[in-house]
Amino acid sequence: MKQQTTEILVIGGGSTGTGVAWDAALRGFQVILVEKRDLTHGTTGRYHGLLHSGGRYVVKDPRSAEECIRENRILRHTHAHCIEDTGGFFVVTPEDEGDYPDRFQEACARVGIPCTEIPVAEALRHEPLLNPRASRVFAVPDATADSFLATHATAQAARLAGAQIQVYHEVVALLVEGGEGARRVTGARVRDLIRDEEVIIHADMVINAAGAWAGQVAQLAGIPVHVIPGKGTMVAMNHRMVNTVLNRCKMPADGDIIVPIHTVAVLGTTDEKVSDPEHLRIEPWEVQLMLEEGEKLVPGISQARVLRAWAGVRPLYQEGFQGESRDVTRALTLLDHQQRDGVAGFLTITGGKWTTFRLMAEVTVDKACEQLGTRRPCTTAETPVPGVQQGHYWLGHRLSEVEEHHLQGELICECELVTRAMLEQAAAHNPTFTLDDLRRDVRLGMGPCQGGFCTYRAAAILHERSVTGKDDAQARPGDADAWDVAYIQSPAHQQTLPPPARLEGFQPNLLLRDFLQERWKGLVPILWGQQLKQERLDALIYLHLMNVDHLPVDGEASPLTDFYHLDPAQIGAEPGQPQASLAEGQALNERAGKEKNQEGQP
Amino acid sequence: MHSISWHSVDHSLDECIKCNICTSYCPVSAVTDRFPGPKYVGPQAQRFRSPHQPHSPDDSVDYCSGCRVCNEVCPTGVKIAEINARARAQIVAERGLPLRNRLLGRNELLGKLGSLAPAAANLALHNPLSRLLAEKTLGIARHAPLPTWSTRGTFGDWLRRTAHRRLRSEKKVVYFHGCATMYYEPFIGQAAVAVLEHQGYEVIVPPQNCCGLPLLSNGEFPAAERYHQGNVARLAGFARAGLPIVGTSTSCTLTLKEEAPELLDREDEGTAALRQATWDIFEWLRALHEQGELRTDFQPIPSSGASLVLPYHAPCQLRAHRVGKPALEILALIPGLDLRESHARCCGIAGTYGYKTEKYQIAMDVGQELFDFVQAQGEAVPYSACDSETCRWQLEHGTGLPSRHPIEVLAAAYGLYDLEQRRLVREAQS
Amino acid sequence: MRPDLLVIGAGLAGLSAALRATQAGLRVRIIAKGLGTLHWSTGNLDLLGYLPGAPHPVRKPMEAIYTLPESHPYARLGPERIGHCLSWWQKALGAAGLAYRPATPARSNWLLPSPAGAVRPTYLATEAQAGGDLSQAEPMLIVGFQGMRDFYPHLIAENLTRQGYAARAATLSLAVITRRQDSNTLHLAQELERPGRVQELAAALRPLVRPGERVGLPAILGLERHQAIWQGLATALDAPVFEIPTLPPSVPGIRLHRALTRHLEAQGVQIQVGLTAIGFQADRGRILAVETESSARPWRHQAEGFLLATGGILGGGFNSDPQGRFWEVVFNLPLTVPQDRNAWFRPHFLAPEGHPVFRGGLAVDGCFRPVDGHGTPLYQNLWAAGNLLAHVDAIQERSVEGLAVITGMAAAEALLA
Repeated sequence: MKQQTTEILVIGGGSTGTGVAWDAALRGFQVILVEKRDLTHGTTGRYHGLLHSGGRYVVKDPRSAEECIRENRILRHTHAHCIEDTGGFFVVTPEDEGDYPDRFQEACARVGIPCTEIPVAEALRHEPLLNPRASRVFAVPDATADSFLATHATAQAARLAGAQIQVYHEVVALLVEGGEGARRVTGARVRDLIRDEEVIIHADMVINAAGAWAGQVAQLAGIPVHVIPGKGTMVAMNHRMVNTVLNRCKMPADGDIIVPIHTVAVLGTTDEKVSDPEHLRIEPWEVQLMLEEGEKLVPGISQARVLRAWAGVRPLYQEGFQGESRDVTRALTLLDHQQRDGVAGFLTITGGKWTTFRLMAEVTVDKACEQLGTRRPCTTAETPVPGVQQGHYWLGHRLSEVEEHHLQGELICECELVTRAMLEQAAAHNPTFTLDDLRRDVRLGMGPCQGGFCTYRAAAILHERSVTGKDDAQARPGDADAWDVAYIQSPAHQQTLPPPARLEGFQPNLLLRDFLQERWKGLVPILWGQQLKQERLDALIYLHLMNVDHLPVDGEASPLTDFYHLDPAQIGAEPGQPQASLAEGQALNERAGKEKNQEGQP
Repeated sequence: MHSISWHSVDHSLDECIKCNICTSYCPVSAVTDRFPGPKYVGPQAQRFRSPHQPHSPDDSVDYCSGCRVCNEVCPTGVKIAEINARARAQIVAERGLPLRNRLLGRNELLGKLGSLAPAAANLALHNPLSRLLAEKTLGIARHAPLPTWSTRGTFGDWLRRTAHRRLRSEKKVVYFHGCATMYYEPFIGQAAVAVLEHQGYEVIVPPQNCCGLPLLSNGEFPAAERYHQGNVARLAGFARAGLPIVGTSTSCTLTLKEEAPELLDREDEGTAALRQATWDIFEWLRALHEQGELRTDFQPIPSSGASLVLPYHAPCQLRAHRVGKPALEILALIPGLDLRESHARCCGIAGTYGYKTEKYQIAMDVGQELFDFVQAQGEAVPYSACDSETCRWQLEHGTGLPSRHPIEVLAAAYGLYDLEQRRLVREAQS
Repeated sequence: MRPDLLVIGAGLAGLSAALRATQAGLRVRIIAKGLGTLHWSTGNLDLLGYLPGAPHPVRKPMEAIYTLPESHPYARLGPERIGHCLSWWQKALGAAGLAYRPATPARSNWLLPSPAGAVRPTYLATEAQAGGDLSQAEPMLIVGFQGMRDFYPHLIAENLTRQGYAARAATLSLAVITRRQDSNTLHLAQELERPGRVQELAAALRPLVRPGERVGLPAILGLERHQAIWQGLATALDAPVFEIPTLPPSVPGIRLHRALTRHLEAQGVQIQVGLTAIGFQADRGRILAVETESSARPWRHQAEGFLLATGGILGGGFNSDPQGRFWEVVFNLPLTVPQDRNAWFRPHFLAPEGHPVFRGGLAVDGCFRPVDGHGTPLYQNLWAAGNLLAHVDAIQERSVEGLAVITGMAAAEALLA
């Protein structure tokens, strides 16, 4: 069996894990990071994209708020190009009366969050769709963050500092030595899901940064860690609608934020305790609630087109907590298992939020240093990751580059402006095993048609490159040395690179099927109106025109094929009567008709 | 800076299902790489625009001619042309406007100035040297079909001169002539007045100003708004009194009905009243006909052959009214008229688009489909016909064949108008 | 000016109905919101490709009709009537300038390569696509163009090979066809109509083709002069040439649309697009007029009879909202759609049985008149045809064009009766 040795082994390729790898590598440690899927596949890749000012938690959880505003300031420098400086409003809608706004303002002052009350008229000039019945508006330095890019950039920084990042490597066992009272974690047995082989990684210190999966990882060492998986459901609207992060000025609750991120607005979120972080159901009431609550901030938003719904799961942790997940602290938690459980060489970092990932890494590596008996100061707060010279990204940056360099004819994903070069370079240089991996890299298929046109194009291009590429300069997926991930989303930059050599190992039919299913998963909860019409066009393309459901089966599944499948219980494995009776249909229709008439339509 | 609002088009952007039918039918993207197509610059690019950006992220939208073929063919009802018009206005608001576009937007002012000394103005404008100069200094294409000022006086002059001869009647209709009729083609107005009076209507021609379309299509929204408010002030009273306001320029009437209210976000009562009362003249005549009130005392139009072969092009700006092709339906009533309907998408000129040096050839390439159609109708064809003035000038430029407004044809069919000389029969006789 | 029949919808169902009604002497007018599904179709006529849940394509669709549930529009018409409609339509299209070919043996489906390299069943094929017949043994050379984003020859060839068909792939530079940087399939088809282009394409292809091979190209072989270009290329190459459809916009679909609309217009049918129906007037069980939105005021369209062919969800004939309500957009007719959103979809996108919601639609009587819950026609002079009909998911069963043509013609015949 393949053996590797390192000082620090990090488990989890989300923001926290990559942050830990970066921090530890900067402090001169030998680091290996393993992630069971692609970077950001877990919670990091499924969050709404809000870079908190801390305002959201300032009344309820001032400690967390303090962490947020400190980190907010730092990340604007270290990860500038991963952030859009949208600003944020806390809005007092007619539903949010009471003394909360005053308490909010005082708390912001106490914690040191810049907070300026602005006239409602001014807020409306800035955000014309904002509820005009709002009574007060506070401006705070909220922003939005591209967590995919940020994690890649952090990972790249870690690599440049000597860390090894290994994706599609799943921990199957922790190596534990010693008897009762003197136990020590000395590494992990890891399965390389792509080569289908196991690797033993020996480490002086193992850091569990598996987020919502941290309990499962700790369990491998026999340590009970009760992460409270708090599921958050989000819906993305077809276009931005607002350009400022909008928060309700009230105690945090379901559906009270609207986050403009890239080309969409994300309505979020719910907070439901779930048992399994992997298979998350989206209940119809959750989608309904997001839209109803969204109405209070932006009247009419529920009539706009919804692109997709998804759920992420927060790795919340509060020792001994029994209540609702909404009330669990958002502050980070570092579990020193030596002190807590008598197991040395093993730390679990959990809780927190994207905004505080760097801080989480810092305290974790501080603790690791302490346990390893070395003093090495943290430098991440002063060390920008690659790519910051691009400055903050802005909504129009891709369009602007496509226009300036006349790349219109190169667009493969037309909705999100992904060029052929972006696709090929990401596939060649960033570990890519499914089109979903490319989606996270370059936003492939994330626009209105949800892969309707680009799924075929991308699968076929990857296949074409695997049969027509030049053999001489063979590049393997995962070979990221010569390539700067920080520019992964820049059409102009990717265009300047020589085309990658042969790509390997792509099974086009599997790529197609998996990605269509992956998109379907997020569509089902929100298919009505325009998005249902879009789905029919996509179905016309893939069934009527392509007949992909009758392509020769590849006979194999990707590591993610199962993941993309919907939990059958979610939408009813046996959908009732395949054809509803006409009487039912008519009753339904009369209802619809009645309401339409009230709107003055035929 | 005038802030361009997007909200009235935001919902329509959500209707796009990316099917690219608009791109397939776009006459501009069919002939040039400079325009990536309506879907690209419209609903697709729109998701990347916002008023709070460092600069407008794109400029290829400037190559949209605004012909609205995209709106017509879109199966889901996206208001693509409106999205594009707003995007152009955003660019203008940010970057300012070249003098050339300012000039082209001020059709009325140019008309007025030239009419002070039309012969001299025509000479000054229409000589090779000044055209070369205009191309080099202003960017107005040397060969573009610019209009010529009327040397027989303006339409206003004619109205004043013939005021005593105008029909007085209980039945009244208001005529919106537009700048082209006023300064360049007064005979169109004369034909319109003659046809309306022939139906027994008294024609009221109140003071009016430019509809503002040239400004809107060049992205000068604030100036367009001033023009529009002027027209509301002058015309809404007639609308409230229940009088129809008919126009012979399909672009002017479209602007009063829809473009100005929508692009300028005008929701006031006067704008609404004016909008509701405005008709394309043939749309109104068709309604008259449906009530059985259109006179059908047609006479054969003099022609060299047994019947007059007339290739007819329904201009984009008429199709954008979404009232069908009323001129075609009315002219079809005329005996001995062999109407040939063009299915060309656009003549290319699109208002002032084809006047611009960088767009002249695109406009000619777009128009080729129409020019070919007209030429395919045979040697003996004396005219083409089209409701829009700039399209007629482009048609004449592209085919070498004179072009007529359908109202001239109708007036001729009533025996009121000399189609060749472009003057009223009675005035020619007197 | 008032027509006998107002057809609402300019897709294949509306155009076929108008063709049939015009032929019978009716004055027909067509109004439509925009141009529709034909522009996305393959240009062939799929009659019935798959039965729900069955893994293999239907070989004998006329026989398979007997196995359909009796509520299916095909089952209600029966194979004989369907056969009659199809031969009439094929003849009419021939007159309109487009030749369609049935497969051999008679009354069976063609099996043609899809743009993903799957085997695609269809019933009437355009002549240029019929050359891809997979029952023929000639090896195929699939040729694409570098940088053309809607067609991938290597994928097609590999998948065909894996299914036992001899195929290989090659690519040419797009510069053979166009100097443009940014072209869609329609632009390319128009470029091929320029003088000399076909010869240039033939010259570029010639070194690639091995003796005995047939050449499969993306469906861009001309628009107006398709026949001449397709045949000219085959002659110049001295090898059979066939087309494979592409991502929308689909050139063969556009050819079909053009042929039909021109043919209708030549017979005096007015086709007006860009018109959105916003209301209607009815009196004592008869529709009097439909109103469309215009720049200033509604435009009223009166007629003796009305035929609704607005398509289902995709065509825009239906709309739906988050509460699970579904409605028909012009006349607000009742629809058979499961009320509970939870019963709309199955967990797998490619579920072989399809998704229940897509079988919902407009229920009609034997004469294609929309009916209420008791089976009574709602209006005496309203008929409906095409993909808005209930009890069929045409995309799932691969009957998109067949359903449109057959029910369009059958509805026209019903209203003539």
